[in-house]
Amino acid sequence: MAGEFAQQKKPIRWHIAVFLAPAVLVYTAVMIIPLFGTLQLSLFNAENQQRFFVGLDNFRKLFGDPRWSASFWNALWNNTWFFIIHMLVQNPIGIGLAALLSSPKLRFSAFYRTAIFIPTILSFVIVGFAWKLILSPLWGVAPNLLDLVGLKSLFTPWLGKEEYALTTLGLISVWQFVGIPMMLIYAALLSIPDEVIEAAEMDGITGMAQFWKIKLPLILPSIGIISILTFVGNFNAFDLIYSAQGALAGPNYSTDILGTFLYRTFFGFQLQTGDPYMGSAIASMMFLIILTGVCIYLFTIQTRLRRYQF
Amino acid sequence: MSRATASLPRTVGAHAALLAYTAIALFPVVVIVINSFKSRNAIFRTPLSPPTSETFDLIGYTMVLNQGDFFLYFQNSLIVTVASLFLVLLFGAMAAFALSEYRFRGNTLMGLYLALGIMIPIRLGTVAILQLMVASGLVNTLTALVLVYTAQGLPLAVFILSEFMKQVSDDLKNAGRIDGLSEYRIFFRLVLPLVRPSMATVAVFTMIPIWNDLWFPLILAPSEATKTITLGAQLFIGQYVTNWNAVLAALSLAILPVLVLYLIFSRQLIRGITSGAVK
Amino acid sequence: MGSLTIDKVKKSFGRVDVLKGIDLAVNDGEFVVFVGPSGCGKSTLLRIIAGLEDSTSGRVLIDGADVTVTPPANRGIAMVFQTYALYPHLTVRSNMSLGLKQIGTPAAEIDRRVTAASTMLSLEPYLERRPAELSGGQRQRVAIGRAVVREPKLFLFDEPLSNLDAALRVNTRLEIAQLHRRLKATMIYVTHDQVEAMTLADKIVVLNAGRIEQVGAPMDLYNKPANEFVAGFIGSPRMNFIDAAKLGEGQAKTIGVRPEHLTVDTGSGAWKGTVVHAEHLGADTNLYVETEKAGLLTVRIFGVYGAEAGSTLYVTPDPQRTYRFDADGKALA
Repeated sequence: MAGEFAQQKKPIRWHIAVFLAPAVLVYTAVMIIPLFGTLQLSLFNAENQQRFFVGLDNFRKLFGDPRWSASFWNALWNNTWFFIIHMLVQNPIGIGLAALLSSPKLRFSAFYRTAIFIPTILSFVIVGFAWKLILSPLWGVAPNLLDLVGLKSLFTPWLGKEEYALTTLGLISVWQFVGIPMMLIYAALLSIPDEVIEAAEMDGITGMAQFWKIKLPLILPSIGIISILTFVGNFNAFDLIYSAQGALAGPNYSTDILGTFLYRTFFGFQLQTGDPYMGSAIASMMFLIILTGVCIYLFTIQTRLRRYQF
Repeated sequence: MSRATASLPRTVGAHAALLAYTAIALFPVVVIVINSFKSRNAIFRTPLSPPTSETFDLIGYTMVLNQGDFFLYFQNSLIVTVASLFLVLLFGAMAAFALSEYRFRGNTLMGLYLALGIMIPIRLGTVAILQLMVASGLVNTLTALVLVYTAQGLPLAVFILSEFMKQVSDDLKNAGRIDGLSEYRIFFRLVLPLVRPSMATVAVFTMIPIWNDLWFPLILAPSEATKTITLGAQLFIGQYVTNWNAVLAALSLAILPVLVLYLIFSRQLIRGITSGAVK
Repeated sequence: MGSLTIDKVKKSFGRVDVLKGIDLAVNDGEFVVFVGPSGCGKSTLLRIIAGLEDSTSGRVLIDGADVTVTPPANRGIAMVFQTYALYPHLTVRSNMSLGLKQIGTPAAEIDRRVTAASTMLSLEPYLERRPAELSGGQRQRVAIGRAVVREPKLFLFDEPLSNLDAALRVNTRLEIAQLHRRLKATMIYVTHDQVEAMTLADKIVVLNAGRIEQVGAPMDLYNKPANEFVAGFIGSPRMNFIDAAKLGEGQAKTIGVRPEHLTVDTGSGAWKGTVVHAEHLGADTNLYVETEKAGLLTVRIFGVYGAEAGSTLYVTPDPQRTYRFDADGKALA
């Protein structure tokens, strides 16, 4: 009997292919192939409608040509600063809010949660313009507010000043996205069993000590995930800068990040015409940066963060 | 928590901090909305007070709505969002079922392949995506956007949904098999209804970035007939940047639909996050 | 050092009264078990003693001092939780020493106590492991160790054995009993399992629907149950309750006889009946007999008894060991 069955070939399970096919096809055709197409395109250039292989020439231009390399390093540094602001401001605030929200028997916590998450759902266009208006010296909402607390003298048109614009935009972006770390940390805090917290209460570990010694170590994996999500999101950002400052990422490119740099290169602006090949080279660099970040996270950080089974 | 473990100053402090942050979160939205209902003079003179009977003015809204195109833009956004959402949920759930239910060669590899898109943003392929759309004649069609957003939404959808589908009881599916249900029926009749709550979570996560996206509408479908509301608002505001009434009204109109949707789905969203779908 | 007084403690969650006025005194060194069906309020009472839950009214006194609003950590108590509640990110050693570090106990003293506790509970090989690397029984011992190192006046156990399998449960039960004998500390132990209650307790507190039904030594509760509830709850298999009217008893409403106080005979006896089902456990045999006069009775016979379903038997109660209850369920003398 057993032998008979063993000889029979297992029928091909077509339904597995049917279930997988639509997702895999769309995903491969619209995402993966173009992604590698872009990487490939960065090795080409064109003259008189003729495309030809140039090897790493585009990258040589990007790093060798002083104009290109200046723009690239400017965008990369700005992007890094943008990321640093998020890590230093957005994530600690998010964790703090989540810690407050998760205090037991806190009233109105659903209201706070809902309200603080609202900026996250708004589009960059709304956020960019709303803040542009509020910070505008023409309208005067911001100076008025500062006046209320007696700090009117501090006001400057932050978005218009080279030295402040990027930091201001970073903080606007923090304002918009603080809801995401808040929610994820909140969820992580809720998943700590009540009894563990009660055991800590019995041990006399309460208040801040409880947060540092018990809760924080238990939510470290979530903080790791948030960091990498922030990294990918920041090095892929474009919309907010574009909405608030336009494709030129003014004033004087002081808010230029990789996303806007890519857009300008690809589509051209003012006198320069669009260059898909240099655009691909920049996209490839972004790909490389993000991939490196993700790999560092996956292979060094995540393996050290323990996930605890309760 | 009991009297013995709670302290009043701590509770008051928590509320103060949360209220302060809530004010920061809502302030810009509130300022925009209240000023959109005021006359031009009042907007500048008393930007922080709500409209009164004297300063109440709908001129901004009439200006925006007389533009007329906004209804078309809204319709475009709606079509793109709903269609992409439907495809993401359907294809995503099917793939998630295949990955979580069947053991087959390459299962893990396929899972990793699909998960790649969670970390690598689709925008990096834009140059080639545009070439693809040009080659297939899909530039300036809503189909192009739907395709891109479906691809963009699938990785996270597959990842979250397969986590949930692993929780559906094997006994239930096996009972279905013994009753002679085909694998397709087991998926559509037994599994899909059970993971409906998680589908709602995925829907919210997928919907927000699609509705708010500026990049792909700008690049793939900037024509008048295919503009989405986000792109339309961006261009309109850029054009009318000195017309404060119109700008504020346009912003308020753009906030409204998302806000309503969010308030309807916020419980779902929070339940989805806290049930551990995205940890 | 280690007495506990509970004074008119009431607790309501919204409109539901979980505890309807509890008075209780626990002496120093006593092992007291709260037992009752689920939802009787026993865990709530324990949590009120611990300070994890507020009472709606009433006071809790430890060693004569009112601790009703004292934070749990300052009550001089330690608690062992049902799910162990170990800190998953800390080693066994750190789990045990964290609370002591928090109050600034000198390192040498912490070390001494941890060593003593881990020796007592045979945890030395596992001190540097994390909870995830331990078995259920080991985790439970760590949880007990964490309580022991605090040298509390009062140990609280919240159903500590219910997540263990049957064999481990017996072992750990034994360890807890030995622990009590060695430390001579006051212990309060909550369980729904009357076997645990009978085997561990100096004093059992039977709770039902937010009230104390009876307080007493295990054998007192077995021999002299105050009411029908206690009579039915203590003892396994459950006591048989027979409508007194069927037996022509005047004063009582219900007559109770424990299964082990019934004897059977094939020839003659008080109540004639048919065996409905027989459970052969080896050491004893449980028979379910449908009698004409007294209804369905459970009979426990020591040793092997060869009776099969359908056979006819006579069942006779031990007249010295029958209980009478009035219409309110109160036991009659």
